[in-house]
Amino acid sequence: MNARRLVLGITTGATLLAASGAAYAARMPAGGLAWWAWPLLLFATTFLMGIVAVVGGIGGGVLFVPIVGGFFPFHLDFVRGAGLMLALCGALASGPALLRSGLASLRLAMPLSLAGSIGGIAGALVGLALPTRVVQVALGITVLLIAVLMWWTRNSARSEARAPDRWAMALGLHGHFHDPAANRTVAWKARHTGWGLASFFGIGMVGGLFGLGAGWANVPALSLLMGVPLKLALGTSGLAISIINTSSAWVYMNKGALLPMIIVPSILGVMTGARVGVRVLKGIQASTARNIVIAVLMLAGLRSLLQGLGF
Amino acid sequence: MAPFDPSSRPEQEAYARWLAWGTRVGFAVLVVTYLLYVTGIVAPAIPTERLPELWALPLGEYLAETHAPTGWAWLASVGKGDILNLVGVAILAASTLACYLRVLPIFVRARHRAYVAICVVEIAVLIAAAAGIF
Repeated sequence: MNARRLVLGITTGATLLAASGAAYAARMPAGGLAWWAWPLLLFATTFLMGIVAVVGGIGGGVLFVPIVGGFFPFHLDFVRGAGLMLALCGALASGPALLRSGLASLRLAMPLSLAGSIGGIAGALVGLALPTRVVQVALGITVLLIAVLMWWTRNSARSEARAPDRWAMALGLHGHFHDPAANRTVAWKARHTGWGLASFFGIGMVGGLFGLGAGWANVPALSLLMGVPLKLALGTSGLAISIINTSSAWVYMNKGALLPMIIVPSILGVMTGARVGVRVLKGIQASTARNIVIAVLMLAGLRSLLQGLGF
Repeated sequence: MAPFDPSSRPEQEAYARWLAWGTRVGFAVLVVTYLLYVTGIVAPAIPTERLPELWALPLGEYLAETHAPTGWAWLASVGKGDILNLVGVAILAASTLACYLRVLPIFVRARHRAYVAICVVEIAVLIAAAAGIF
């Protein structure tokens, strides 16, 4: 266990070191660092981010925008576009396995994702129209609120199967799935569908506005509000992100805000890091990892807020 | 109670199959086109040496400076290394739309009106977003 803690410590330290390196490089004149150094630095940072994200039980997108936006020289417009693509790719890659195993429900994801898609498009349009400083301040506040939400809901994993509402009955939002860890079949029924739809519209809007993956909000909405078991909430959240972020990604692409030189190394870095993170995860206490993620988010959120306020 | 059987919800299995293919092809194209771009095998529209002075600009200034294409105009410059990468992005972004088009007839056959309506509206939203209507 100590060795694994050491790995986690080194990972977190290296992430901060890479971010500091990027921050230092960002202050250099435009010609100070060759263009090819940036994708390499980005890959190294997102690789470490991928490890921390998996260990902390969140998507990489929520770490990417505040950290890369705060410490790299890229304009926030491009960072948000890359963040959306990052979250989209992660969700697309895991979608088929989640659907086949029954850990994600397509019928549950579809109505919620429709509300989220509309919110996501609205958010993307608003985000690209607002002045950068306003977006930075709003991003900082949002990321700090995410950290608080993660802290607040860290022990709220339980949900109970209660009577479904009329909408949930009409849409057939119930079923069962096999939990391989507990080796048992779990029955589930959704409730508060109307509130769930409203939440996903809002979450989609925040995701589109800041280019964040929305697992941090989807999971509590599904689990705590709609009464969906946590494992199904985690899987369905990933599927919903793949649908919601698709609509926002098209908006960013049509506006010309997707830069391959930022997007591709980031996607490869996070995905490679996530594979390593899965191995590290086996020996790490979830609560320790989550606390580290909360601390990183607080720092990144604070930096974004201060940047937006002109400090 | 029996473990989850995807065949009991045929739309779920069909969606998973199409998503797996779309994602696989999209990632492969994205990685290959990126390698062609960074190695200089396919020359980019914007020289890579200029990027550090350009990516710090707000989107509007960047577009004015580079005349980079917006909307679907990128298709006309797809022979350029940087623009070529958008093919992979487009495939990934189109995967969800393809999956919805695949499951729509399944819901129609099952006469599940609510899901037919949800499918149709989501397809319309995705097409509108892709078409640049927003």
